[in-house]
Amino acid sequence: MAYADGMDVVVEDVTQIWPGRGGTSVTALAHVTHRFRSRRITCLLGPSGCGKSTLIQIIAGLEGASSGAIKIEDPQRPDIRHPLGVDSVMVWQNLNLFPWRSVIDNVAFGLEMRGMPRAARHQRARALIASVGLRGFENHLPGQLSGGMRQRVALARALVMERPILLMDEPFAALDAQTKIVMQEELLRIFDETHKTILFVTHAIEEAILLGDEVVVMTARPGRIKDVIAIELPRPRSLDMVNSREFGALFDRTFHLIREEVTKSMEQQARVEAG
Amino acid sequence: MKAGTAARIGQAMLPALTVVAVVAAWEALVRLRGIAPIYLPAPSSVLSYLWRMIADGTMPYHLGITLLRIFVGFALAAVFGILLGVLMGMSRTVARVADTWIAALYPLPKISLIPLLIIWVGTGEAYKIVISAISAFFPIVISTYSGIRQTDRGLVKAAKDLGANARQIQLKVVIPAAIPSIFAGLHLGMGVAIILVVAAEMIGGSSQGGMGWLLISSGQVMETEKVFASLIVLAVVGAGVIKLQQWIDCKVAPWVDHG
Repeated sequence: MAYADGMDVVVEDVTQIWPGRGGTSVTALAHVTHRFRSRRITCLLGPSGCGKSTLIQIIAGLEGASSGAIKIEDPQRPDIRHPLGVDSVMVWQNLNLFPWRSVIDNVAFGLEMRGMPRAARHQRARALIASVGLRGFENHLPGQLSGGMRQRVALARALVMERPILLMDEPFAALDAQTKIVMQEELLRIFDETHKTILFVTHAIEEAILLGDEVVVMTARPGRIKDVIAIELPRPRSLDMVNSREFGALFDRTFHLIREEVTKSMEQQARVEAG
Repeated sequence: MKAGTAARIGQAMLPALTVVAVVAAWEALVRLRGIAPIYLPAPSSVLSYLWRMIADGTMPYHLGITLLRIFVGFALAAVFGILLGVLMGMSRTVARVADTWIAALYPLPKISLIPLLIIWVGTGEAYKIVISAISAFFPIVISTYSGIRQTDRGLVKAAKDLGANARQIQLKVVIPAAIPSIFAGLHLGMGVAIILVVAAEMIGGSSQGGMGWLLISSGQVMETEKVFASLIVLAVVGAGVIKLQQWIDCKVAPWVDHG
């Protein structure tokens, strides 16, 4: 494996300013600096509108930053430059599955773009579909599947690319509580098997602690890094840990950090709505 | 349960029953009041005329000619309309230039082009095909372009993230995503193509035949039964064409909610 040691995502002093109407501009991110380490799950936690999604889209190379730099770095070979978007793959909050493509052709999309012949890419896609528990649904359209099953298709479509960095933008936010638990366990299993670098955006504290090796708490807009909490719960993780004292202490600490920011964010929104 | 089923069957039958009732009332009215057939023929005599016209080949002949004109014109409009719509979606320059022309020509009633077309291409086949192609072209190009423009940005970003280049994004994301709008344009285009071909047959080519010609020539000699028979055929065939299009939509684009 070329990426046996994984890839770090180095964010250096990234600021993102959206030009607004009438000369007013919105600062989405302000001076964000962090090293997202390889073979770890880092959760980005913050109130809505704090620029978490913007940050991972910048890392994916889908948005340009107003200033600052992103580096994708092999820790063993920090001298080699890697362009953005080549080593990472996104899993989107609203999935962005192609509704006209069957499950197998959604999963094989990236391989098809690469020019892989149909038989080969279908073989790879079929293996991934089976690994997320969707064997037998290869020829269904996304519209014929439940929310949880669609989420699995989106995950398989990203995993089939075999890229070392997985960027996940609130992937489970739209799922019902039970399906969410199943998908979190699924993600933990995938992480334990592949040891990818995972950036996981969420606004759920419990989810961030359960999944993450590290929780990066962001402030309300403009989004800055408020604190970084190391989560030293043992792996493999399981949902039973939620009831442990250690988990409770981490939850309290994170909760107090985030409460202030959520209040601030709600005030911001109220001001916007008031005009 | 039984009462419920009966009520549901009643609901389903109601539209058909109204048709039967209206036809029966019509028949009764004509017979009882002794209305002259040149004003309002009885449904029974319309049907017997219709049957004779089908049996002696008149109706299939004229219907065949009209359908052929509609489909040739529509096919031309579909090819060029979709092509231009896609090009407009891909190139800002093409969109700006074409937009000006469409804005100027689209509101023009296409039927008003008939005198000019007769001067240019005569009253032969070309005139009827061109008029149906022109009229169907506009809704098709406009719907195609708006479908292309309204492509979900999220899908484009996802494709880019998965390594698609600009050409692949166009072919594999933008165009498939526009298919529902393209179909909506094809439906509108077919509707106006039917109208314009029949209208053109009424006005222009007196010797070319077709349903429009059959209607106008029957009307001129007060053969009102033939007029009604032609109208029935046009209505049934029109409905059939629309059903056929819907069926094709469901086959080609099963992911779209076709209502």
